[in-house]
Amino acid sequence: MKEKKEKQEETTQIIVFKLGEEEFGVNILQVREIEKLDQGITRVPRAPHFVEGIINLRGEIIPIVDLRARFGLTLPELGYNSRVIIVEVGEALVGMLVDAVEEVLRVPVSAIEPAPAITKGVDSYFLSGVAKLEDRLIVLLNLERTLSPEEEKELSEAELG
Amino acid sequence: MDVSQYLNVFMGECQEHLQTLNQSLLALEQEPNNMDILNSIFRAAHTLKGASATMGFNKMSNVTHALEDVLSLLRQNELQVSAELVNVLFEALDLLEVLAQGIAEGREEDVEIAGVIQSLQKFSSKNQDQEGKAEPGPQKERRKNLQLRYLPAEIEQIKKAVEEGLTLNHLHVYLQEECLLKGARAFMILRELEAHGEIVRTIPTSKELEDEHFENDFIIGILSKKPLDFLVRFLEKMLDVAKVEGEILNPETLLVERRGVETKTSPDQDHQKTSLVKAPSNVSPTVRVDIRKLDDLMNLVGELVITRSRLEQLSSEKKDQVLAETVEQLSRLTMDLRDQVLKTRMVPVDHVFSRFPRLVRDLAKETGKEVQLHISGAETELDRTVIDEIADPLVHIIRNSVDHGIEKPDERKAAGKPVPGIIELNAYQAGNNVIIEVTDDGAGLNLEKIKAKALERGIVTNEVLENMAEEEVMNLIFLPGFSTSQQVTDISGRGVGMDVVKTKITNLGGIVQLHSQEGEGTKITIRLPLTLAIIQTLIVQLGNDVFAIPSTLIDQTISVDKKDIKLLRNREVTFHRGEVLPLVRLQEFLEVAEAKNSMLDELDVVVVSNGERRVGFVVDTLLRQQDVVIKSLGTYLGNIPGIAGATILGNGKIALILDLRSVA
Repeated sequence: MKEKKEKQEETTQIIVFKLGEEEFGVNILQVREIEKLDQGITRVPRAPHFVEGIINLRGEIIPIVDLRARFGLTLPELGYNSRVIIVEVGEALVGMLVDAVEEVLRVPVSAIEPAPAITKGVDSYFLSGVAKLEDRLIVLLNLERTLSPEEEKELSEAELG
Repeated sequence: MDVSQYLNVFMGECQEHLQTLNQSLLALEQEPNNMDILNSIFRAAHTLKGASATMGFNKMSNVTHALEDVLSLLRQNELQVSAELVNVLFEALDLLEVLAQGIAEGREEDVEIAGVIQSLQKFSSKNQDQEGKAEPGPQKERRKNLQLRYLPAEIEQIKKAVEEGLTLNHLHVYLQEECLLKGARAFMILRELEAHGEIVRTIPTSKELEDEHFENDFIIGILSKKPLDFLVRFLEKMLDVAKVEGEILNPETLLVERRGVETKTSPDQDHQKTSLVKAPSNVSPTVRVDIRKLDDLMNLVGELVITRSRLEQLSSEKKDQVLAETVEQLSRLTMDLRDQVLKTRMVPVDHVFSRFPRLVRDLAKETGKEVQLHISGAETELDRTVIDEIADPLVHIIRNSVDHGIEKPDERKAAGKPVPGIIELNAYQAGNNVIIEVTDDGAGLNLEKIKAKALERGIVTNEVLENMAEEEVMNLIFLPGFSTSQQVTDISGRGVGMDVVKTKITNLGGIVQLHSQEGEGTKITIRLPLTLAIIQTLIVQLGNDVFAIPSTLIDQTISVDKKDIKLLRNREVTFHRGEVLPLVRLQEFLEVAEAKNSMLDELDVVVVSNGERRVGFVVDTLLRQQDVVIKSLGTYLGNIPGIAGATILGNGKIALILDLRSVA
């Protein structure tokens, strides 16, 4: 009992999703909801290339970011398991397009380490750390940076740094 | 006392009273002897004094108090309106505005008020010294002036009643000085008193009493069977009543009110007349509502409009007669509801216009010019949000007109023009738009100066300039970094130019046009949508997507045969109404791939005008006209050029709303 309590104090909850075969995670406190992609995405001309378009979420217009395009990953097209994770970034709601949502996981804070420069092909600029569990490695996203609409500038700065 | 929850109400009222003061002072400057104007100034100052004292804003209450002292001397004709006095009054008013600002920002204490109070007191005390009589202070004087007068018909009625054994009593009620909510108290007194007789008339009128437009006392004329004693004691027992004086009147000796007769015989009578004749204001009761609540309401109605379209679509698929009729009815109700909500948000442009007479007056004095401002159409209504936004651009345009437009008196004389320059400010509604025109009869734009300036600033090159039409040259002043004024003046040279005006209007979905004739004047026309939330659009199809084009921008739609398209400098053009009309394929503008129009022989073209040029946009198909609710793309996507927002159609799909002005 006592042990369990201690554990609770040190854990954080993350939502684990997949891009291709790799596992990524976001803090559950930033997630508003998870949607199936049963409506089309309306493309927005002249928007940044990683913005797939916008959707109508019960009357609200939500921009959808394609994380694979954001990270410059080349992965297969959207499939049956594709989901949109709606997250809160600052005041805005943004949808992240992912290949599958797996589970909600309780991770001990002690298991989270700073991310190496490049993890699974993703620049550490976009990451808040990696969670090392017994047999898995989950890459945690820094949503503020991942979903910042000003891509080019920051990206190049990150590369320089 | 915690006043924070009343602060908004107070600030709202404060703005209204300050506006009244401003307008009335301007009017008083023109007609120094008009008692009505003076009274309205006095009332506004008085109410403001009471309200600020209640709220504990001592500085404001001190200033209004000093102001009131001067005004009451004016009312009693013990002081004459002079240019010097009006300037001091304006100074006091400016100070009040600063104070109001200070209160809003929670730093009333920092505002320096001693100087203005001194100038005000110079007027009020100078006068008393001259008169040398200490006794009839303003309060006393006014009390003595309270006299009940009756209409002839009322006197007949009173005579009859007296024959029937009633008596006419005049009850002079004095409320306690510290009485709060005097209006409500007076109202209670009248209501209680009605149980004991028939109130024929009061001075001030019951309406004025309710609105707290009175000092501490009032007289009631009541027909009653009860003895005078009883009535006096009855009133004296009521809360907040300090003392009551009663007298019984003989109907033969009653004073008769001469309604609407202009008498200038004695100041005393004049005074009396205006307070009695004050037209019964039949203003309907109003409720103050937070604009955010109206915004929320508007959003809900927006959702309803969308759901309605969706329902309409479903019902048209079902082909059920009863369903169709019900949906039809819901449709009508929704539209009525929408119209009503839109109407609630409408405010007369007077809201903004009313500050311009003062602005022009001050600017004219500063620049040593003579300028008359003619305002028309101030009752034209616009959405509240639009009103708030157009104030700054209009101020800038009017500053420009006075500063650069209207010439100095000697220059005007030399040009054979009448010395006073005229600026006309005109508003009217045209369809779904409101047009605001600012016209001056000043020097007009000097094309050569504009060209020189544009070159100097590196905005254009010589070659480009040579090919420019006059109108295009004039429109250079809307470009960022342009200012034609030779010297930077206090008035216009504040680092903002016409480009800011244009940006602001454009952001509102409006259009600015400029017409100028050198030597004859300049006319600036602003075309604004009635409201920002719901707009009328034309829905068009391109490839698999649909887009909405705001009707405000659309000149017309035409059909163009492929054979009639020519190439001019590698751009597609066609001839329409004897003019060359440049064509732009919508897919190229939007940088999207799929579109069918390149395969068609007969092209649907939407002709868009931005007030300067016309451009035809080639689409695949014109679908329909539709009112849509604008939704912002949000901060995340921010401003994407060419896209004004998005809307949700009846089928739940999203259509982007296009802003084609940047190309046109």
